[in-house]
Amino acid sequence: MARLLATFFGVLLAVGVGSAQESPYIVTYDHHLEEPGNLEIETYATLGVPRSVQNLYIAPWMEIEYGVTGRWTSEFYLEGQGTAGDSAVFTGWRWENRFRPLKREHFFNPVLYLEYENTSEATRIQKEIVGGGADVESPNDELQPVKNHELEAKLILSATLHDWNLAGNFIAEKNLSRGEGFEFGYALGVSRPLAALASGAACRFCRENFVAGVEFYGGLGSTQDGFRVGDTAHYVAPVVSWQVSENATIHFSPALALTGQGSPMLIRVGYSYEIRGFSTRLSQWLGGKH
Amino acid sequence: MRVFITGLFLLALPGVLFGQNTTYQQDPNWQAPASASARANPLARRPETTAGGQKLFHRNCVECHGENGSGLVKKHAADLQLPIVQQQTDGILFWKISNGNPDHGMPSFSNLPELQRWQLVLYLRSLKASGEPSSKQK
Repeated sequence: MARLLATFFGVLLAVGVGSAQESPYIVTYDHHLEEPGNLEIETYATLGVPRSVQNLYIAPWMEIEYGVTGRWTSEFYLEGQGTAGDSAVFTGWRWENRFRPLKREHFFNPVLYLEYENTSEATRIQKEIVGGGADVESPNDELQPVKNHELEAKLILSATLHDWNLAGNFIAEKNLSRGEGFEFGYALGVSRPLAALASGAACRFCRENFVAGVEFYGGLGSTQDGFRVGDTAHYVAPVVSWQVSENATIHFSPALALTGQGSPMLIRVGYSYEIRGFSTRLSQWLGGKH
Repeated sequence: MRVFITGLFLLALPGVLFGQNTTYQQDPNWQAPASASARANPLARRPETTAGGQKLFHRNCVECHGENGSGLVKKHAADLQLPIVQQQTDGILFWKISNGNPDHGMPSFSNLPELQRWQLVLYLRSLKASGEPSSKQK
């Protein structure tokens, strides 16, 4: 086991060459998009600590993010979940797009977010929380056959205040498969790098490689249930990201429930790896002009 | 006419050979406001922070601007050694790093702390001194 762990962390630390500082947020989006032509591959998992009537679950997902242009980032997700004493299931896919309407930096920088989700009711990644939140109690054989085609929109507002980032997302989701009305949610985040100056030395553990912050997110009910905010899941989550190499970042966030809904604690971990100049390399491989 | 074409060819030759973007032209619409232009680099008297700027440059800029900042033609990136870049004030360079020019491929780096962006400006100034186009740029 020790050898396996050593190998795992060895691979993490050995991976190659760069990227601008990664946002530490796991749920909240800020206004920084993927650089054009870059491809980022991310793997995350949400571990749900159970209440007495729930089972422990882990919901992994993979994101492939591509900077289409300087103002458009597109992302494809695959997700699943496994629940202790139950089963492991593939819960579906998502395709999201983020558009930045303004060219320059302003105090508040808006980004428009549109996503199509083709997921089952068993989804537990909780990449965002809308309505009353995910069903983390019913068994998979009950939830998995229920398929949802959903459209989700977000208004992302984000500000850079000296070294701080402040971000707020307002979320609206519509299930096209059945009449659930419109469901709403929110995410708020604040973060800051641990060091303002970069040291000249190559180092993994320098403070400049860490960004820390806190997120708040939760559901705001739906048009069908009359916006009963008290009956929905809300979380507060410290977040930290560590840039372990020029293009690899580790994310960690323990989220604590502020209400009696959903899981009492979500532990989220992630690893992202950026391939710079992916489009150029791809066209080279394909024998293009670049 | 032939002399003119030959002259143009000779001018472009180093760029073709070394991938250096000597023909870089600035986007006329990418103009910093006057207030940004006047800002002074708070690290101007701390040259020891240039090394950190070099590290940031390698991490964030080399992909398009090349190891020595001469700008890769295939990326349409600015040759940062050119006088049209080096003659800009520290404040303008800081503003351009912070805002980017997303429609022309230059991302915003406002996610870097302010001082790190100033470190980048400090390092960009050292590119002027390196002078000669590097043969590393292929």
